[in-house]
Amino acid sequence: MHIVVLAKVVPDYEVPAGDFELTNSRAHSRYKRMMGLYDENAIESGVQLKEKYSASLTIVSYGIKADIQVLRKAVAMGGEKLSLVLGGSDDPNVIAANLKMAVEKLEDVDLILAGQQSADMDRGIVHGMLAEMLGFAFIPQVAKIEQEDGQWKVIQNTESGSSELKFGGKAVLSITSVPENVPRIPVVRSIFAAKKKPVVQLPEIEGDAMPVDELSVDIPKMESVCEFLPTEDDPAETAKILLGRLREERLI
Amino acid sequence: MGRTPYWNIDLGILIDLFALPMIVIFFYGMYGHWKRIRQGKVRVNLDLSKSAGKIGPVYLYSLLTKGILGTKIYKKIYTGVAHGGLFWGMVVLLLGTILVFLNVLFGLPVFSGGFNHWFMAFALDFAGLAVFGGILFFLVRRLLFPPERLTEPKSRTGFSPIVLLLGVVILTGFVVEGGRIACNGIDNGSFMGNYLSMMFGKGDEWLTLHRYMWWIHGFLALGFLAYIPYSPLVHLLLVPVNAALADPMPGTKMGLIDFSSFEDEESEEMPVLGAAKLADFSRKRLLDYSTCLWCGRCHEVCPAAQTGKPLSPKGVIITLAECLQDGRVEDDSLIDSLTSEALFCCTTCAACMEACPALINQPKTIMKFRQNLVMERSEIPELMGKANSSLELRGHPFFGTGAGPNDWCKDLDVPLFEEGKTEYLLWIGCSVTYEERAQQIAGSMVKILSHAGTSFGILEEFRCTGDPAKQMGNEFQFAELAQQNIEDFSDLGIKKIITMCPHCYNSFTRHYPKLGGNYQVIPHSVFLKSLLKAGRLSLNRETNTICYHDPCYLGRRNAIYDEPRDVVNSMGKLVEMPRNRNESFCCGGGGGNYWAEEVGTRINQVRAEEALGTGADFIATSCPFCLLMLTDGAKKFTEDQKIFDIAELVALQLEER
Repeated sequence: MHIVVLAKVVPDYEVPAGDFELTNSRAHSRYKRMMGLYDENAIESGVQLKEKYSASLTIVSYGIKADIQVLRKAVAMGGEKLSLVLGGSDDPNVIAANLKMAVEKLEDVDLILAGQQSADMDRGIVHGMLAEMLGFAFIPQVAKIEQEDGQWKVIQNTESGSSELKFGGKAVLSITSVPENVPRIPVVRSIFAAKKKPVVQLPEIEGDAMPVDELSVDIPKMESVCEFLPTEDDPAETAKILLGRLREERLI
Repeated sequence: MGRTPYWNIDLGILIDLFALPMIVIFFYGMYGHWKRIRQGKVRVNLDLSKSAGKIGPVYLYSLLTKGILGTKIYKKIYTGVAHGGLFWGMVVLLLGTILVFLNVLFGLPVFSGGFNHWFMAFALDFAGLAVFGGILFFLVRRLLFPPERLTEPKSRTGFSPIVLLLGVVILTGFVVEGGRIACNGIDNGSFMGNYLSMMFGKGDEWLTLHRYMWWIHGFLALGFLAYIPYSPLVHLLLVPVNAALADPMPGTKMGLIDFSSFEDEESEEMPVLGAAKLADFSRKRLLDYSTCLWCGRCHEVCPAAQTGKPLSPKGVIITLAECLQDGRVEDDSLIDSLTSEALFCCTTCAACMEACPALINQPKTIMKFRQNLVMERSEIPELMGKANSSLELRGHPFFGTGAGPNDWCKDLDVPLFEEGKTEYLLWIGCSVTYEERAQQIAGSMVKILSHAGTSFGILEEFRCTGDPAKQMGNEFQFAELAQQNIEDFSDLGIKKIITMCPHCYNSFTRHYPKLGGNYQVIPHSVFLKSLLKAGRLSLNRETNTICYHDPCYLGRRNAIYDEPRDVVNSMGKLVEMPRNRNESFCCGGGGGNYWAEEVGTRINQVRAEEALGTGADFIATSCPFCLLMLTDGAKKFTEDQKIFDIAELVALQLEER
């Protein structure tokens, strides 16, 4: 069994709003680069499957050469190989085409896992497009995966509940964050071993960009507005008022 | 008239011959302990520097005071006195027995004159009485009114039989003495023997009884001595050894791990990181486990054990002691039997270590297990794991913070450290940077230092010292951060550092020097005291009462108790909590537990309640983590802001020049 996990290196997704700024419509280059939050959940899920079913695990990414240092953490967590397509496009179609190319160079891939959305663009569409291109099934927001009678059984978490799904054949699964796939801290010997593992670097292929032009990118401005709610004897009443106000402002 | 040795006893010298096999049994038992202890790793302490009172690995002062005089025992006065009576009584009785033996063999004149009167008669009777009193105290307490610390998580068996045996030895000794005096006349000084002699007659049946009792007393005494190494009383011998080898420097030192062997692909055997089984520990640690008395003083002061957490330091040590006794040194299920939930509850406050009369280093054992869990098995509670990841990714553990690195100083004019121009680096630290409440400490320090005309500056960019990673068991992460800091400091020529966080102070002074970072580091409370003493600050002294909470990493771990109190006294009237100075109770935030989902009663609420219970107008501390934890804990009891860092209080009381 061969499992691939897609990982993307993104700017620090926890930069406080007051400190965040854009250059060329993207996060400023001074921010530290790290793996996406959901991608780490996907890697953890992949490592657990590898350990449970004696599978092999390859990390595939699309990005710049400097990302290798960050991606080694994925290898240290349990990945065996690292394959990086060198490119700088933000277009989901181009990224998906390049990931398809990288996956096809690996033989006998059975399952592809990816974080449900990247921590920078938050689009959550690349893995779906990749599934389409590969002819694989696609299941979003997967929380749990296990094999049963030669098929895969997964739990899909949605906003209002969860579904249990079963499928055979190959698939791309987008992984959501649940307590069971909290990313592990790599053990020290794996950190050192990861430094020595070779990285397959692939040149980018030209893909068809989506016919969409980015006109502008804005980030919300920080505003501080303070409103004192009337103090009620019953704190539950105050909480209700607060909830009402938050709904009015469409903050929840 | 002098006493006749072996009076009424035929072939009494045989008892001395019987002593020989008993001595063999005794030493065989001690050899068994050594055999178990030597299964630990040999860790050579390279620092064999000739410090005062230290010969080789032996700390003489510690051996004398804590090991032999047992000074820590007397913190509990009743237990201490009973213990002292029993121990010193036995020592005196043993000495008396040896003197009798020397009298028989070599004619040493011990049964005449004042020595006979005061030592061989009075002192030996008094010693016997002291031992008997001690025995009664321990039997009554253990069997009838055992305190929780003795029974939780479980009681030690084996004390009562040997203590009872000793009691019989003492009683038979008195009876024999009484019999002898009944026949030979009053022996001045032997007040117990003289009293008991009144119950004896002088006929043959009494002489026969005396003979039987003499032999019974002799054999039981020898049996008792031979049995010591196989019983809990072996601590009589092991505690002094443990004390002699325990570094008297306060707090736990975790040493450094050499990670270079992981770089070497040819290396056949990788070192085990931390410890998962007994064989991974040093001989000193195995000596710790053999020495443990199961007295539970550690359990009694442990903030985790006292607030319903699954950890008991006594539980950890006695589990290891039993495992060692059973010969399971290679049993790597040991770490699982202790559970990671329990091991991560330790706040590393070192209260257990401070309380331990046997000088056992409980935190070091727990930390070794943590190191193994984190660095070998990736096992760490979720929030601590996130803090670790944040340290790796961002250089600070405050994941999800809404604060930027410069938010704390956005309205302040703070100079940057300039090489060759600035004297002190004001080290801000991560909690002061990223936690809104703690940011005010830095603002206050900047105001104070500017007011005093101190040459200081801050770093443009900084990262954590690595202390949280180290306390959570991630020594590798600590080493990475520390190395980077040391390089930065070296580039800037930093020599003097003022810290606002005792955890940073502890890292800089205890761990950085081993990595090549040597600086003059001054905690802000000490620096404030020096400014006041030099007259560079003057404060409006008010009538407010101020209660001071000792941070564990400043107090117990670095013995800094007086300077912050002096600062407090210069602003108001100092009041103390019931648990203060080296007996202070932790705020609950140490050992990475600032990032923990606490079970049981919240430690910070317990401490905040104790502080508020003093009725003080303000509660001062000198650690940002304590400030944050106690502020949170106090919310359960009051809406008033009562918890402050001493720098905040000083800044408020500054007199304008």
